[in-house]
Amino acid sequence: MAKQPKSAMSRALVRRETISGYLFLLPSLIFFVGFVIIPMVICIVNSLTDANMNTQGLGNFVGLKNFIDLWKDDTFLEALKNTFVIVIVSVPTVCAFSLWVSSAIYKLNGKLLSAFRCIFYLPVVTGSVAVTVVWKWMYDNYTGVFNYVLKSTGLIEKNINWLGDSKYALWCIILILFTTSVGQPIVLYVSALGNVDQSLVEAAQVDGATNFQVFWKVKWPQMMPTTLYILVITTINSFQCFALIQLLTSGGSGTNTVMYYIYYTAFKLTEKAGHFGYANAMGVILAIFIGLLSALQFKLAKEK
Amino acid sequence: MHGSYGRVIMATVSLKGIKKIYDNKVTAVHDFNLEIADKEFIVLVGPSGCGKSTTLRMVAGLEDISEGDLLIDGKRMNDVEPKDRDIAMVFQNYALYPHMTVYENMAFALKLRKVPKEEIDKKVREAAEILDITQYLERKPKALSGGQRQRVAIGRAIVRSPRVFLMDEPLSNLDAKLRNQMRAEIIKLRQRIDTTFIYVTHDQTEAMTLGDRIVIMKDGYIQQIGTPQQVFDHPANIFVAGFIGMPQMNFFDAQLIADGGHYSVKVLDATMELAPEIEAKLKAAGVGSKAVTLGIRPEHISFSGENGPHCLTGKVDVSEMMGSEIHLHVTAGDRDVVLRVPTTELSAEHKAGISYGTEVHFTFRRDLIHLFDPETEQNLLPLENA
Repeated sequence: MAKQPKSAMSRALVRRETISGYLFLLPSLIFFVGFVIIPMVICIVNSLTDANMNTQGLGNFVGLKNFIDLWKDDTFLEALKNTFVIVIVSVPTVCAFSLWVSSAIYKLNGKLLSAFRCIFYLPVVTGSVAVTVVWKWMYDNYTGVFNYVLKSTGLIEKNINWLGDSKYALWCIILILFTTSVGQPIVLYVSALGNVDQSLVEAAQVDGATNFQVFWKVKWPQMMPTTLYILVITTINSFQCFALIQLLTSGGSGTNTVMYYIYYTAFKLTEKAGHFGYANAMGVILAIFIGLLSALQFKLAKEK
Repeated sequence: MHGSYGRVIMATVSLKGIKKIYDNKVTAVHDFNLEIADKEFIVLVGPSGCGKSTTLRMVAGLEDISEGDLLIDGKRMNDVEPKDRDIAMVFQNYALYPHMTVYENMAFALKLRKVPKEEIDKKVREAAEILDITQYLERKPKALSGGQRQRVAIGRAIVRSPRVFLMDEPLSNLDAKLRNQMRAEIIKLRQRIDTTFIYVTHDQTEAMTLGDRIVIMKDGYIQQIGTPQQVFDHPANIFVAGFIGMPQMNFFDAQLIADGGHYSVKVLDATMELAPEIEAKLKAAGVGSKAVTLGIRPEHISFSGENGPHCLTGKVDVSEMMGSEIHLHVTAGDRDVVLRVPTTELSAEHKAGISYGTEVHFTFRRDLIHLFDPETEQNLLPLENA
């Protein structure tokens, strides 16, 4: 509710406004509670049980056993490591690259700017499965364009098994993730750059700033809220990288991530008939990491 | 204040045939010529869209100069970047860096120039002292009022000890009272920092009170350059005459009658003799009988007790009591004439204002009549010491 001096509005009026406010919220609130809050609570509760596909209702309460077991599970630790590699590599590169591209294109005239925005945004709006399948063809061991080009130019002698070789697979996935992640940041940065108060830029120019100083000391701080948003969404996206792995490697060749391992544990691990409790414990840990990292980003951005 | 690093600050600015044509072929400034002396305070004034801000921005280097030369201290500056022109500018919307404190805002330019920290500190505190903003140094701009922000903006400019000080409508975002106060402070400031100023405003009061010389512009053309007194006493054309002075000058279609060496004007049904000095000028300029536009300022119209051949008669429409004077709107013929009458000159019955419909007789001070050519709109009397 907007801040109102208490005396300005009678109590009954305030109550009526509050009630109608909540009524407007109700439809989305129902969905939010039903499909977000309740599953989250079930997830947390489940993570403390040994529930699996065959369990009727809740499983047996096992305390923190799932969490303790996780730290002894080599597959999980490897998935965690891979996940962090993806986050640490992709977040800064996505951020820096999109900033660079947007700085280069934001001053272009309308049509050209729209064309660039369209090109970079296309992978975002195209179905991720379609994009991934195209990449899969390009990476193909025998018929892929990468091997073809590299071999024709003499850079390699033997075909590289891009997605089957653990030396390359994770980086191949990071590359695809990168191309599908830069679209939104570019669009956001272009508008943020366009919104920087031009008189501040002029003031800095008159004050004696070089173009770089104008950017770094005036524009960049102005774009901090956008940067923060981009950092957080890219971080979350990278942590939750799943479809790519599922479609390209199914977690093989050293590309297992926490997100994929959760899915695998819950729905694929046939000998345990889907270990829900264990998978949920991973979900909780992933959520904690995302929360911590986002909080850290907020804090750093605030200090700036 | 002395110049930074002990240098002597001196700056003449010359604008030679400066022209600004935008990409869309609109010409914002036509053939602008002006020589600004060192330490002179120049005010560019005119209605919005007259090209005054564009001219200032060209001096700052924020707009390209399409044609002509800009010289600062004799050096051509057309292609020099704003940062290398050694100018400071105060913007209408203050343009303070929102993420920096007041102190950092003021120190910014000096930091960029790698001035030693102690010196920056000294200069910032000195400027803050002058502008009375010392207590706000640690605040962010958003925690300041409009007037305080404007002081910071000025402070940011004066710490630089620039060669040329540019101000783009610095007071127009302030309320009337604060504007008057800041105007007085700019006059004081000017005495303290004593550098070359170029000040842009649309407010003629600011122009008259601040400028050593005023440049009046309209539609991208200079209308007149002169001291406040010159432009007030001898407007070059009808536009300047109407623009400078509050309330506005009254204009009449009149007939100038040359009779031997003597001149008179016929306005409505009155015929007025002109003062000998005006006659002499007209004679020297070889002006004969012709239709003219007569201009007379509201304060140069005087009441006359009775009607006479040199008097106009009208009915009071509105009487505005301003305290020390009354602004009287009178309908004479089909024209609205504004008179400015000091209350001290009014009879006791009229002190509180003159009621609607009252018939009044008035005449013009014959030495203060302005005559313009109705075709060219130029003043018919040549300006002395122009």
